[in-house]
Amino acid sequence: MVISNRVSSNILTVLKYAIVILGALIATVPIVVVFLASFKTSPEFLDGNALQLPHSFINFQNYVKAFVDGRMIVGFFNTTLILTISLTGAIILGTMVAYVVNRFDFKLKKVILGAFLVATLIPSVTTQVATFQIINALGLFNTRLAAIILYMGTDIIAIYVFIQFISGISVSLDEAAMMEGASYLTIYTKIILPLVKPAIVTVMIIKGIAIYNDFYIPFLYMPKKSLQVVSISLFKFMGPFGSNWEIISAAIIITIIPTLVLFLFLQKYIYNGFTAGSVK
Amino acid sequence: MKTKRKLLSIFLLMAVTLSLSFSEGNKETAKKKTQEITVITHRTDLVDNLFQEYVAEFNKIYPDIKVNYESITDYEGEIKIRMNTKQYGDLLMIPDTGFAISELPDFFEPLGTAKDMAAKYEFTTDKEFNGMVYGISSVGNAQGIIYNKEVFKKAGIKKIPATPEEFLDALKMIKSNTDAIPYYTNYAAAWPLGGQWEAQAPNVAGDAKWYTQKLPHTKAPWSEGQPYYVLSKLLWDMVSMELIEEDPTTTDWEACKGMIAKGEIASMVLGSWSIIQMQQAASSLGIDPGVIGYMPFPYTNADGHVYASVGSDKQFGINVHSENKEAARKYLDWFTEKSGFAQHESGISPVKGGAYPDALVAFGELGVKFIQNVPAMKGEETLLDDIDSEAEIGRWSESYRTRILEAAIGNRDESFDDIMTDLNTKWAKAMSTLGVK
Amino acid sequence: MKDLNYASQRRILIVTFLFVPIVLLCVFSFLPLGNMVYYSTLKWNGYSKNRLFVGFSNYIRLFSDPEYFSVFKVSLYYLAGSVLQLSLALLFATLLTFEMRAKNFFKGVLFFPYLLNGVAIAFIFLFFYKGDGTLDSILKAIGLGDLIQFWLRDVKIVNFSMVFTSIWRYIGFNFIVFLGAMQSIDKEIFEAADIDGANKWHKFIYIIMPSIKKIVELNLILAVTGAIQAFEIPYVMMHGANGTKTFVIQTVDTAFVNGKLGLASAMSVVLLIIIIIATIFQKQYFKHREGV
Repeated sequence: MVISNRVSSNILTVLKYAIVILGALIATVPIVVVFLASFKTSPEFLDGNALQLPHSFINFQNYVKAFVDGRMIVGFFNTTLILTISLTGAIILGTMVAYVVNRFDFKLKKVILGAFLVATLIPSVTTQVATFQIINALGLFNTRLAAIILYMGTDIIAIYVFIQFISGISVSLDEAAMMEGASYLTIYTKIILPLVKPAIVTVMIIKGIAIYNDFYIPFLYMPKKSLQVVSISLFKFMGPFGSNWEIISAAIIITIIPTLVLFLFLQKYIYNGFTAGSVK
Repeated sequence: MKTKRKLLSIFLLMAVTLSLSFSEGNKETAKKKTQEITVITHRTDLVDNLFQEYVAEFNKIYPDIKVNYESITDYEGEIKIRMNTKQYGDLLMIPDTGFAISELPDFFEPLGTAKDMAAKYEFTTDKEFNGMVYGISSVGNAQGIIYNKEVFKKAGIKKIPATPEEFLDALKMIKSNTDAIPYYTNYAAAWPLGGQWEAQAPNVAGDAKWYTQKLPHTKAPWSEGQPYYVLSKLLWDMVSMELIEEDPTTTDWEACKGMIAKGEIASMVLGSWSIIQMQQAASSLGIDPGVIGYMPFPYTNADGHVYASVGSDKQFGINVHSENKEAARKYLDWFTEKSGFAQHESGISPVKGGAYPDALVAFGELGVKFIQNVPAMKGEETLLDDIDSEAEIGRWSESYRTRILEAAIGNRDESFDDIMTDLNTKWAKAMSTLGVK
Repeated sequence: MKDLNYASQRRILIVTFLFVPIVLLCVFSFLPLGNMVYYSTLKWNGYSKNRLFVGFSNYIRLFSDPEYFSVFKVSLYYLAGSVLQLSLALLFATLLTFEMRAKNFFKGVLFFPYLLNGVAIAFIFLFFYKGDGTLDSILKAIGLGDLIQFWLRDVKIVNFSMVFTSIWRYIGFNFIVFLGAMQSIDKEIFEAADIDGANKWHKFIYIIMPSIKKIVELNLILAVTGAIQAFEIPYVMMHGANGTKTFVIQTVDTAFVNGKLGLASAMSVVLLIIIIIATIFQKQYFKHREGV
């Protein structure tokens, strides 16, 4: 009995690792192609098989070209600026909505939550014509604020993630604070915000990456060269009749590096963020 | 108190953000001493290199005009979204797909009368409306087929094919005598099955009036003998006779350049603009660029001639709302006359009297006749686009040609005749909806 | 603020906290939506000064031709795919919530594909599926060369290939959201369960699932509506050719290839209505289950 239990638990452990390792392989293998391509020369790329190793792993020519010709310094500057402001805004707004919706009962609550959900469901392809006119009427065309304000609008996912966390924070904490005479605003800033840190990191990651990779909004709303963002760099090597895939590959790798580093740095806050201290 | 201040600061932040946006917007419209123009182009590949060199050259003569370039990847789609406002630059490419020339005066500045412009420039009738011309060509192209001379020689093809049958025979010889893919469709990139084929239609018609004046009144343009039928049939035959690549869905446009240079691909239907790109691919692989050849579309008309239609690439127009029209015009004139862009693209110069590129000079030696579409009839300028849009066929897009290809490899339950009948039905229905005879 | 009583504080807070988000929502989501509804009554190419009011005729055209709706068949592939995607994301998130070696490494790697943008993905998967490409090479290497297919050319397979790409791309998103939500569960509950001798399956069913139910529901709703709206991958990779055309691709073609923004807007309105109905059905279903 004991033995068979141990065997089955061993099998389960093996299975567990097998599943995760398989998942990890499937997730990474396709990207290897890009990594290899980023070290190839143009004829080498056109000539050879995708999985073939490049002649040299110290051929950084594509990287230099992608970085310099892709004007990535400007790109990183603009992206950082836009990302910081719009994410801060989206997080403040998102937590505010989630706090109000989770903690208070009021008449239009369901309607408002429903409105956020519906907004996420609107097929955005055909609304672009109208959105562009609005941005232009606000005088935001060809300014970074166009992108910032469009990204700042809270989406339903962020609100739900925040609600999920706030509902996990015991109301008794609020009540204790109120006993001491704290206002609702103090509760929001002093109790709620610090405790939803893992949710903030989750939202920062998912929304941040979506913004970082988006090229549709920068292309349409801020085409001015000095406003170029990182994701646009990929297109510098894409012509109407041809693309330099080996340079684009290098550009892809360059753009992945900061997100990967930030993700690795931030992930510990997601997983270890919800520390003890709250009263359940 | 403290919390109140915090709340206040949140709102202040919002207010500052909003007001900042307005002040930046105002800055844009403020008058400046040195003129500044924005040029919008679809050539994302040239905007940071070649065009910057051009701007530097231009500034040697006009140091007071600052030229900013913007580029758009999905040009046709995005520029039209911007054209709902005044924000579409000073100098830009006039959109082609579905842009009716009757709308030109609403969006673009007239550049001269039809007569004056035609005396100086090529392709002026494309963007002409009510006696005024609104566009100047960036470069001109001829329509034909790009091929690898060595492969054709190795396959034992002695003579440039002059009919679809001869072309198919040549492809069969390539298939049996060489390892090359006889014809490469570039299906995955989609656009090579769009305009590149559509622009061949006048070659088959052999009539400068057919496309612009006769087609809008043709009830069934996909019936036997019609140019569209001939083109469609050739595509169908190539695919069903397995003269194309094994898997069209994974073709790679970028790779096809190296492949044709190396002789792995024998031929592709592409405009003459492609010659330089294939030659460059050859050079970078250490292959003599001379292996790249260009032939007219294989169709001999009743008069015994093979035709090659010559037409304009995208044309420049000046935004009618621009505050710097003069400066934009100066750059446009400089670009057209001094930049040497046409030579760079091995295309036809937009200025009258320029020399034809080498590949097209060879056409003349073959006895090929060049034709150029005449303007549509007065009052019918938008008719062709209207019918196409109403019928939802999209002749300039790849749509029905990918359908032919898919049916020919057996992925659709329809025959060649089914598709032709369906296209004719849609076309005729659209004509009757619009009341066209 | 301290001087105010809680009731009026609450009222002020609700209004002030919701003001900016709702203004943004109205200006950038509902105003364009209203415009779209208006455009759907026009015969308009999207930029021309001539806009002709045609009433419901765009809708009539849409509903009198079943062709327009036949593309929804393709959505079924994505629907099935999103169920699989969510199940896998849930599986990975659960496995990695419990103790495991190299936990953080696996979390990072599983999330990795979500870091890439659409253009990069189209490029990667063209190489993945092409003859002698990544997939074929792998199959050969592990002795499964017989399984090699025309992954994109074969109409029976191509939509599965698209769905696989879609799962690959978006699973990291669901994974990280689930994982994040699971962290909101108090660790003491797990400890208590351990003392009661609960196994992992019990913990999943009785602790994890009930705690993150709302997030799972939302993800399911977004997955279903995402399947109905599938667009980017079949568009960038296949241009909607070879039987991969979805309703949104058809809408984009109608608007920008055929120059009928009015008709395309009508399509979008119909799509939105379908999506809202599907969402209401799901919400009802969850509510009903809660009742049981």
